[in-house]
Amino acid sequence: MRIRVRLNGRTVEHDVEPRLLLVHFIRQVARLTGTHVGCDTGNCGACTVLVEGKAVKSCLMLAVQADGKDIVTIEGLANGGGLHPVQRAFIEKFGVQCGYCTPGMIMSACALLASIPSPSEFEVREALEGNLCMCTGYEQIVDAILHASTLDRGHGGPRRAPQAPHGRLGHGPGDPGRASGTTEAGHGR
Amino acid sequence: MGDSTRPLESDGVFVTSQWVGAAVPRREDARTVQGQARYVDDIDMDTAHVAFVRSPHAHARITAIDTRDAEASPGVLAVMTGRDVAAATNPVAPRGITASVTQYVMAVDKVRYAGEPVVAVVAGTQYLAEDAAARVHVDYEPLPPVVEIEEALAEGAPLVFEEAGTNVLLHDAFEHGDVAGAFRGADLVVKETFRMPRFSSTPLEPWAIIAQWDPGTGAFVVWSNDQQPGRTAINVSRTLRVPIDKVRYIIPDSGGGFGIKLAVWPYIVILCLLARRAGKAVRWIQTRSEHLLAGTHTPEALIEAELALARDGRFLAIRVNSKENDGSFVHTAGIYPLIKFAVIVGCYGIRATAFEFSTVVTNKAPTVQNRGVGKPGMTFVLERLVDLAARALDLDPAEIRRRNFVRPEQMPYTTPTGEVYESGDYPECLRRALELAGYDEWCRKRDALREEGRYLGVGIAAGIEPGTSNLGYYYISRGRPDFLGSVEGAMVGADFDGGITVVTGSVDAGQGHATTVAQVVADMLAIRPEQVSMSTHFDSATSPFAPHSGTYANRFNDVELGAVVAATRKLRAKMLRIAAFVLGVHERSLALRAGTIHVEGDPTKAVSFQEIAAYAYKKALLLPEEIEPGLREIAYYQNRAAKVPRREEFNIQLTHANAVHVVVAEVDVATGFVTLPKYVIVHDWGRQLNPGIVKGMVIGSTVHGIGAALYEEFLYSPDGQLLTGTFMDYLKPVALTVPRFDLGEMESPCPTSPLGTKAVGEGGAITSLPAIANAVEDALRPFGVTVTSLPITPEKTLRAIRGARVI
Repeated sequence: MRIRVRLNGRTVEHDVEPRLLLVHFIRQVARLTGTHVGCDTGNCGACTVLVEGKAVKSCLMLAVQADGKDIVTIEGLANGGGLHPVQRAFIEKFGVQCGYCTPGMIMSACALLASIPSPSEFEVREALEGNLCMCTGYEQIVDAILHASTLDRGHGGPRRAPQAPHGRLGHGPGDPGRASGTTEAGHGR
Repeated sequence: MGDSTRPLESDGVFVTSQWVGAAVPRREDARTVQGQARYVDDIDMDTAHVAFVRSPHAHARITAIDTRDAEASPGVLAVMTGRDVAAATNPVAPRGITASVTQYVMAVDKVRYAGEPVVAVVAGTQYLAEDAAARVHVDYEPLPPVVEIEEALAEGAPLVFEEAGTNVLLHDAFEHGDVAGAFRGADLVVKETFRMPRFSSTPLEPWAIIAQWDPGTGAFVVWSNDQQPGRTAINVSRTLRVPIDKVRYIIPDSGGGFGIKLAVWPYIVILCLLARRAGKAVRWIQTRSEHLLAGTHTPEALIEAELALARDGRFLAIRVNSKENDGSFVHTAGIYPLIKFAVIVGCYGIRATAFEFSTVVTNKAPTVQNRGVGKPGMTFVLERLVDLAARALDLDPAEIRRRNFVRPEQMPYTTPTGEVYESGDYPECLRRALELAGYDEWCRKRDALREEGRYLGVGIAAGIEPGTSNLGYYYISRGRPDFLGSVEGAMVGADFDGGITVVTGSVDAGQGHATTVAQVVADMLAIRPEQVSMSTHFDSATSPFAPHSGTYANRFNDVELGAVVAATRKLRAKMLRIAAFVLGVHERSLALRAGTIHVEGDPTKAVSFQEIAAYAYKKALLLPEEIEPGLREIAYYQNRAAKVPRREEFNIQLTHANAVHVVVAEVDVATGFVTLPKYVIVHDWGRQLNPGIVKGMVIGSTVHGIGAALYEEFLYSPDGQLLTGTFMDYLKPVALTVPRFDLGEMESPCPTSPLGTKAVGEGGAITSLPAIANAVEDALRPFGVTVTSLPITPEKTLRAIRGARVI
């Protein structure tokens, strides 16, 4: 099936097998490897991305279900140079150890801060319930997100979910943002 | 920054005190938060993919394997059975056990656990490899499985390894001090049987390997997230029958280790064979289901223990009989019971110890050294006995500990088995923890709330966190110590432009080693950490690694930094020699400042690192003959406190941190759920090099313990099927179920580690188990419940409240 998604502001169009998972589309077709896979069952949240501004576990969605949707991954946060405030806060508060959960944690945090700009500690912990971290014991991650909620935003965050810079995806055939060079079937590496 | 400088003393380590001890932000993180970290599966390389056919049976004979359909499947490049693998490899080498058994890295003729790899398939994509694996037909003749410890020990039990004639692959007993006399003279003996669950710290990134073979040279390149490349190099080359130089190991970013990635190497052997067979680089990314099913776990343990006491509460002796279910991996079998010795007396001055153990094999998954390795279980048992004794003697749990602690004036203190506690003030650590927790107030609150039908309990536990294994202990029962002590290597050099580069033998799986190393080197050379370059990736082709190299047993802060300090000293000495020559003065009159070496008292007479590097490389002809060109120094370091093991006296580990945890637990007696409204940790880390990193280690480790104490267990059905095989049912702590932690400060520098540091990575996972258990038991005192097992699940708690009286 041919699908077209808006990925970090860029249009990507590709033939995919119906069974291809969105996370494998992101990692193997679009070659954005910041989105990770930590389990098979949608529990760990390492694969969390924003779909239409909402945090979604990309291992629980098929690529074909993302057709026509606007997706932001961890690589799409630091547009225009500087780090997103949530990214900065994770560094400042030692919210990273092995880093494998970090992209998913940050995407969940962005979704949270878009709906609750100044969350309580409880609200942060509740919002992270779908994201497992095996290293930190969560405290420095929670502190980072609370800290991010006080930071001034340079661009995009933290007070609203990051959006693709060119707005919503159109379905016209001549979309100028179309990616090139990805023509073979979906799950190749 | 970089302000000069004390004069260089001959044995001085640091010339500035700007960076060591400061919460310097981690240099690793800018990449990570942008999704630019590179884990194995992120490597952009044309590879084929591997899928494994795994045994559906816990114990069965393989009667036939038909791979023809799989070989004809689209995109398939190679198929290998266990027999193919065995024909090309040596069997797995055991370490601890004395029984003679044969096991290969894949199942041959017989499967010993559900999930054991039987056939490996290589195809063009991951999806095609899995399709083809589903077309392999294996016929099994099921055998009666042996699942639990008691079954394995029963008369006439089926044998996991027939050639051993028994399911006990190692049995031994040690006695130090007059144990029988102490028990005869005791006023009170507290005795209980405890069960430790089978669990795992489950790194978020499962195992991952890419292997490439060069037909021209016959050499392999392996990318993996292995955490112990030194031993892996030995194991793989021995098993694969190739010299060590024929396999190059590259370890990129690694998504957590916790010991679980010490057992990746058997799969590296398989991947190398597949790469050679397929004629193409191959990639295997373990799924979470595979990880939970087949690799790897902490063994569960059945531990009988008794503590002899005098009337005044003094501990006289301890006797332990431990049986571990080591599953079915002979390489690691026997390690857990042996390492328990390190903490058999905990923080206490017990002078007589007896320890008997059996390493039992069953049809459960392989085991490996998970965070803390046996010490969480031993500390759980000891600290539970202490609380049971306090209750029997009507003593406050804090008071009975106070009466028995090794006292600060006894340091360094040698335990009956030969473990040396170098420093520490255990009573003060307890005092601080109780004060920080508001212990008396919580005890009053507990009593008051009980009137309202709320059940709170206050738990105390004191634990030792050893660091740096003296690896000879693995072999103590076999009597042929092979790996001794702990050695690490480092290379520190100045590049052609004067920048400083460090290469070590360690693997970073989230510990921030490069950040900490840069802090240390910066203060040794009076530069900024940013001027120190260190890759977070390991490469055996460039690393001066040793057979012990890797990140395990809390050895980074000791031997790895020891090697870095030693190499930096050598580099500094050479730079001073070159500077003295260039400036025409004696080395002793020189000082370092901000990337230069200058004449002390006259910063204008200076030469920059860049210029020194130019003399070392580009202008070496100008140097006097006795100064060798080049500016790269390699040093190897070992902790010299290690003893060559003898049964009468040996030390298992070489540094000893300690901690006190004070926990308040509330049990909802309607649901059985436990919450932890207060959690205090005072951990004596010797000296902190980076408080931001240390805090994360202490808390993260403690949360591993909370998981093991309250949630996590690999449960098996009677026929040996794993029942908790996903994160749906193998429950991990989440942000909402862990408390906010109060951390106290305590620093008793370690005299035998190069910078005074002690371990921080495992202590939380050790001391938290009994602290939580003690708190829950205290909360359920009105119901007369005793906690003898973990995890303390709602189901077990409700059963105990409703009549069983035992968790």
